[in-house]
Amino acid sequence: MKHKLLPLSETMHYILLALREPLHGYAVMQKTEEMSSGTVILAAGTLYGAIENMSKHDWIEPVGHSGRRKIYMITAEGRRILKVEQDRLLHILSLYEGSESNEKV
Amino acid sequence: MKKFKVFFNIEKEEQWLNKQLEKGYRCTHVSSLGIYTFEKTDKSYVLRLDYQERLTGEKLEEYKGVYEDFGWCYIKSTPLNGVRYWQKENDHRNEIFSDRESKANYYKRLMQYSFWLGTMCLTFAFLLYSDTELYHESIWRMEGSLFWKAFIFETPFALLKLTPLLLVGLFSSSYYTAYKQHRALKET
Repeated sequence: MKHKLLPLSETMHYILLALREPLHGYAVMQKTEEMSSGTVILAAGTLYGAIENMSKHDWIEPVGHSGRRKIYMITAEGRRILKVEQDRLLHILSLYEGSESNEKV
Repeated sequence: MKKFKVFFNIEKEEQWLNKQLEKGYRCTHVSSLGIYTFEKTDKSYVLRLDYQERLTGEKLEEYKGVYEDFGWCYIKSTPLNGVRYWQKENDHRNEIFSDRESKANYYKRLMQYSFWLGTMCLTFAFLLYSDTELYHESIWRMEGSLFWKAFIFETPFALLKLTPLLLVGLFSSSYYTAYKQHRALKET
């Protein structure tokens, strides 16, 4: 059966993508804001919950500290999840293109 | 300024707190007995309530750290339960949840909390009622004014004995409120 967190929510998706480099929580929010051109702005409780949840599933892991802040990074399992999502989205995108060419006919 | 108030619904509590803040106050302490301490301020503040059980030591520090990075201040409270009070200056980022999933999870935690307390009260009620009657048996054999005097005398105690059941009712209703909110977020 499909993992219960799949398909990824927009929040989880951005966090996983951001954590391809090591970052602490607040930096994940900043990175997400930047990557989404300001359309996805994570709030504290949402970010905390998502990090907890994804750590529990070993998609991300703490890799060190910066002061009192914990630094997280994506794991091999997390990258595998991203790959699954990438394939799913690419497939959906191909359907978009497909239907467009049909309309032209 | 201190105010006393008891809530069985976390959302009503949040609304009430924010109404106090709108009057130009800032909350400085919350006691589990229902005493809220405020102080006058020139700035405008907002308060948000979260529910997180069993957070201690390092976990609690990490939880607090994330919120504090976003500008939220943890209000000292006597954590009898898992309600967490967060306050910050009013600006354009006043929410602690930014997507449906996390808000739905919040209501789920509230459901678990009410369910647990409700079950406790129910268990307590069963224990209490299994070996005591609401009124002493002998009172039903009394007649006339003697009966009424005894009845009136015992009524407050009878009501007191009903308290656990009343609490079961209150926790059931807060469970139902959280359930409705949770379902609304999950459905659409």
